[in-house]
Amino acid sequence: MSSVKEQLIENLIEEDKVSQNKVTIVGTGAVGMACAICILLKDLADELALIDVVADKLKGETMDLQHGSLFFNTPKIISGKDYSVSANSRLVIITAGARQQEGESRLNLVQRNVDIMKSAIPAIVQNSPDCKMLIVSNPVDILTYVVWKLSGLPATRVIGSGCNLDSARFRYLIGQKLGVHPSSCHGWIIGEHGDSSVPLWSGVNVAGVSLKSLDPKLGTDSDKDSWKNIHKEVVGSAYEIIKLKGYTSWGIGLSVTDLVKSILKNLRRVHPVSTMVKGSYGIKEEIFLSIPCVLGQNGVSDVVKVNLNSEEEALFKKSASTLWNIQKDLKF
Amino acid sequence: MSWTVGILRASQRAGTVRANFLCLGMAPSPRPPAALPLGGAWAMAPASKMATVKCELMKNCTSEEPVRNSKISIVGTGSVGMACAISILLKGLSDELALVDVDEGRLKGETMDLQHGSPFVKMPNIVSSRDYFVTANSSLVIITAGARQEKGETRLNLVQRNVAIFKLMMSSIVQYSPRCKLIVVSNPVDILTYVAWKLSAFPQNRVIGSGCNLDTARFRFLIGQRLSIHSESCHGWILGEHGDSSVPVWSGVNIAGVPLKELNLDIGTDKDPEQWKNVHKDVVASAYEIIKMKGYTSWAIGLSVADLTESILKNLRRVHPVSTRIKGLYGINEDVFLSVPCILGESGITDLIKVKLAPEEEARLQKSAKTLWDIQKELKF
Repeated sequence: MSSVKEQLIENLIEEDKVSQNKVTIVGTGAVGMACAICILLKDLADELALIDVVADKLKGETMDLQHGSLFFNTPKIISGKDYSVSANSRLVIITAGARQQEGESRLNLVQRNVDIMKSAIPAIVQNSPDCKMLIVSNPVDILTYVVWKLSGLPATRVIGSGCNLDSARFRYLIGQKLGVHPSSCHGWIIGEHGDSSVPLWSGVNVAGVSLKSLDPKLGTDSDKDSWKNIHKEVVGSAYEIIKLKGYTSWGIGLSVTDLVKSILKNLRRVHPVSTMVKGSYGIKEEIFLSIPCVLGQNGVSDVVKVNLNSEEEALFKKSASTLWNIQKDLKF
Repeated sequence: MSWTVGILRASQRAGTVRANFLCLGMAPSPRPPAALPLGGAWAMAPASKMATVKCELMKNCTSEEPVRNSKISIVGTGSVGMACAISILLKGLSDELALVDVDEGRLKGETMDLQHGSPFVKMPNIVSSRDYFVTANSSLVIITAGARQEKGETRLNLVQRNVAIFKLMMSSIVQYSPRCKLIVVSNPVDILTYVAWKLSAFPQNRVIGSGCNLDTARFRFLIGQRLSIHSESCHGWILGEHGDSSVPVWSGVNIAGVPLKELNLDIGTDKDPEQWKNVHKDVVASAYEIIKMKGYTSWAIGLSVADLTESILKNLRRVHPVSTRIKGLYGINEDVFLSVPCILGESGITDLIKVKLAPEEEARLQKSAKTLWDIQKELKF
């Protein structure tokens, strides 16, 4: 007896099962799921694969997303413990790893997260040798270096989410101070994603008007308007949110999705993301730090050469040596 | 920008403070305010006459307060409330979002986290507070808060606890947004929609229960899986009570207008060799299954509520299976709320679709009505 499906539908050609814009997210914790929902709602992928070691949580989250299928345009959502579900990905987002506890610094998480990467990365590369990798797990700059080393991929295809979120928080807070929407407030934070990030005050502007040209003291200690506090608040943000709600998710999810958009759609927009900076700003070690990068379908295709003043360059170099001090002791 | 500086100096010399020139006598507060007064998007604090960067940069043209046309308030910042929030934000549905919760720490943390995504989304103003005044002038208020069922607790007891919570909630909401529409998501949704209606004294068109909107979405997803077709093209309705006793209306299930029942007369019955009945079974089991695996459900309910929100705020007049007052239909005489296909627009539920139900489907709705009324009649308001 023929099924309802056979009676209803006349099949004409074999279904093409190869996706063109597959994204895999490793880790279905708060950050991974925030990335997932944002990517789905922004219509960026035609296939989404989720991977995690906790089987129940993974399945539950996948089903919950699938049940929302009616409301978005990503026809295939799959998941599994095995990395084979990630095959043929254009982009793999790594959010897995231990998370900061209240009061804990990102650097403390390093060795725990290196061990997680050791098991994950070779399998990912095996299944999607042409993919770009986007690292979100903290401490992101060090882990981007670790992933690069473990993957054997060219450094241009291994990108750390870096200061993309710091810069977003920076722009949001500038927007609050001025009563202007953040997307019209421009400002860049580079260097380490974390306590020693570097705010580039000379670049902060609205409609091309440099705020520093209006107040040369902007961002210094003698600035009566205390703009420097905005950077302080950015650095303190994650700790504050973790203290209040236990973790951060939305800010990082939205900022990662913005990077995904540039990569998958080959937009060549500029983002402050973590990339290999050996050779720039007098840095001699293989360090990943955030600088403005052009992001497209091949990953980081170009970087913007920002002129740093002596103070900024010193802070940048300080970030580099802080990170190198930890990296040099890592056991792979 | 020498001309702005020139104007500043001229005004100071003249000794006048022009009301609409922001700089003189006013400076923005440096910290993002967590709770804002009515209509005030950017809090202003009187400060010294120091020329700030803001003054140097911008010339203010109006001090008129913005009128919020599509303000949405979400009561409850748990997983469901936040999933509603992110879905609404990513769909760009509101120009102001207010969040209310009793847990101030979580409320503040969630608000900050959303705000930090501002550069990536046309983020509207987001305000939050324990106090309902932040919800003032909302077009739509979404209620996700409420007590969760405790182990071994009877449904009646759970509902009575929620009546107490809703009492305070409703009086505050109504006070600050007397003309809003309410979407009730908290469970048991059909009973709590009735409770919200009673306590708010709103006309019934403005009190909407999320009801079977999600059940129907899951139904369509699972049908789509069986047929390898996108769920958007699979049509089917689950009506009645949200939960274990929901009613899949098999006669209406169709693709491109072709009713599946025409192709398989036994569809949905026990005799059906393809056991399509299991699709409905899976829908009913869904929530329990997901809760067992990840602890709660969030994404699908958030997306489905955002879908309802879109219809209401944009006055789309699309049809959704939501919980509404059903007394007088299908032989039901009790004052209960059940899901039927409703037209959703700017005034809430403006019309409902009179679905022809099979006698046994109608009987199930009547049974649900009786069960709900048995609990509702014991409630003390």
